[in-house]
Amino acid sequence: MTLAAIVLGLVALILIDVPIAVALGLAAAGAMAAETGLRDLPNIPLALHEGATKFSLIAIPLFILAGAVMNATGISRRLIAFTAALVGFVRGGLSMATIGASLFFAEISGSAVADVAALGSILIPAMKRSGYSADFAAAVTSSASTLAVIIPPSIPMILYAVMAGASVVELFVAGIVPGVLGGALLMFAAHRIAVKRGYPAEQAFRWRRVAETFREAAWAFLLPVIVLGGIFSGWVTATEGAGLAVAAAAAIGGLVYRELNLASLRRAALEGGMQTAVVMMLVAASALLGEHLTAMRTPQAVAAALLEITENRWAILALLNVFFLVVGLFLHSSAAIILVVPIVMPLVEAAGIDPVHFGLVVTLNLGIGQQTPPVASVLVTACSIAKADIWDVSRANAAFVGVLALVLLLTTYFPAVPLSLVELFYR
Amino acid sequence: MRRFLEGVVLLLAAALAVLVVVAAVLRKIGYSLVWYDETAAVLLAWLTFYGAALAALHQAHIGFPKLVERCGGRPRRALFLLRKSLVIGFFALTAWMGMKTLAALGGTFLVSLPWLPARVVYSAIPAGAVLFIAAELLAPLRPERGERP
Repeated sequence: MTLAAIVLGLVALILIDVPIAVALGLAAAGAMAAETGLRDLPNIPLALHEGATKFSLIAIPLFILAGAVMNATGISRRLIAFTAALVGFVRGGLSMATIGASLFFAEISGSAVADVAALGSILIPAMKRSGYSADFAAAVTSSASTLAVIIPPSIPMILYAVMAGASVVELFVAGIVPGVLGGALLMFAAHRIAVKRGYPAEQAFRWRRVAETFREAAWAFLLPVIVLGGIFSGWVTATEGAGLAVAAAAAIGGLVYRELNLASLRRAALEGGMQTAVVMMLVAASALLGEHLTAMRTPQAVAAALLEITENRWAILALLNVFFLVVGLFLHSSAAIILVVPIVMPLVEAAGIDPVHFGLVVTLNLGIGQQTPPVASVLVTACSIAKADIWDVSRANAAFVGVLALVLLLTTYFPAVPLSLVELFYR
Repeated sequence: MRRFLEGVVLLLAAALAVLVVVAAVLRKIGYSLVWYDETAAVLLAWLTFYGAALAALHQAHIGFPKLVERCGGRPRRALFLLRKSLVIGFFALTAWMGMKTLAALGGTFLVSLPWLPARVVYSAIPAGAVLFIAAELLAPLRPERGERP
């Protein structure tokens, strides 16, 4: 069966709302049956099992669980109180506190949806009570949640590392500068909009309040120090770091803050388990189709075709940027990474692009994709919390998406932005 | 069925977290568990297949519903039934092939856990596929979609 037939079949299945994981499996099974009849079909369960047992991906459920534990133990609330004390005195302070809290939350949870659900449920109603429009409150929370996938740890980065064969630790480190830069620029944009619209300042700045909220949140600040410090120093692997994050969050929430809410923890753990299964089914099904495409040498053919157009790596990066932005409009980031990254990696390598650099470009592109309808899981979650219309929120979100696009351009065309820390510590 | 799947998913997620933490601590004190990698990978696979059935019950798998949602009346219902048949067909095939795999595995055992039959490990595939089919049949006709990761 030709590549065109497989792609057409896949697109047709996705368009009639067959879950993408199943569509991948059906396309692979169809291609196998067309070529070898029933002979290769017994490989289906074996390939699915092989795809679902990728050891490095164990970090995914654990980082999702860590975010759930943080939320069920009052850690998120303390982070919000501290950032509000820090920046609440300027106009739009509450929206800036949302971005600040997202920066901290991102250091433990690697999922933007977990971030927007955890922080949005507290901060969006608070912003609405303070006179912010629902559209703006949803937009700023949604865009700030993108930081969760840029700042380490990051579930899309873990997936990319497995698909591209890149170092997950180097990817994590490469996300620090773009993430902090994105957070600072988002805060600046939120402040400018707040001034223009007359949104209020929350409270006068008081060192005493900052000190009090810092004391309350101090244990929470230890979490990223323990987890990321452990991973970056090589003391633990990324998977062990994810386990450490769950254990440390549970210990701090349960033993220090004594706020472990078992009912909400159970709910969040279930949600996390289900999210993991959804992502892992995609990985497993892509292994099935991937085997077939690799045998057909599809990635190499795609690379050769594009290299005939241009061999300039900046032009190739521009093409890939546009491609991933378009893909991000229609596909969830996990699905996009699993489907597209293995196909474009030979091109990336042939063009001399650093795989860690490219990983950040992919992550940012797909982070922006989660902010743009029609498929925008993070934006949709924020809209449902704010009870706001998705198109109104998208309009309010345009400035923040612009900021994220600026960070993407800086990351793409100034490789030092993502790679300087990697070069400094690991190469 | 929902309660059973929720129990299994919670148990597997908790077991995975505890195993990773315990193995990391033991490694640090110089006592590495030889069966850790293989067992953790098996737990992840089980979480994948049983969790996928639970996600199907919540209609939480990632898809692209926009086009079907735009269709009205009969075409929408026809596409919906076609979609459901394809999903059930795929998992029926997976369950069938999964059973053949279990039969072929015979008396083989895991490498690091020589007392654990490979059949038990791989049983999650046909079991998960059958549960996925049941979830598809039980899921409401046009539900609200669940949260996506």
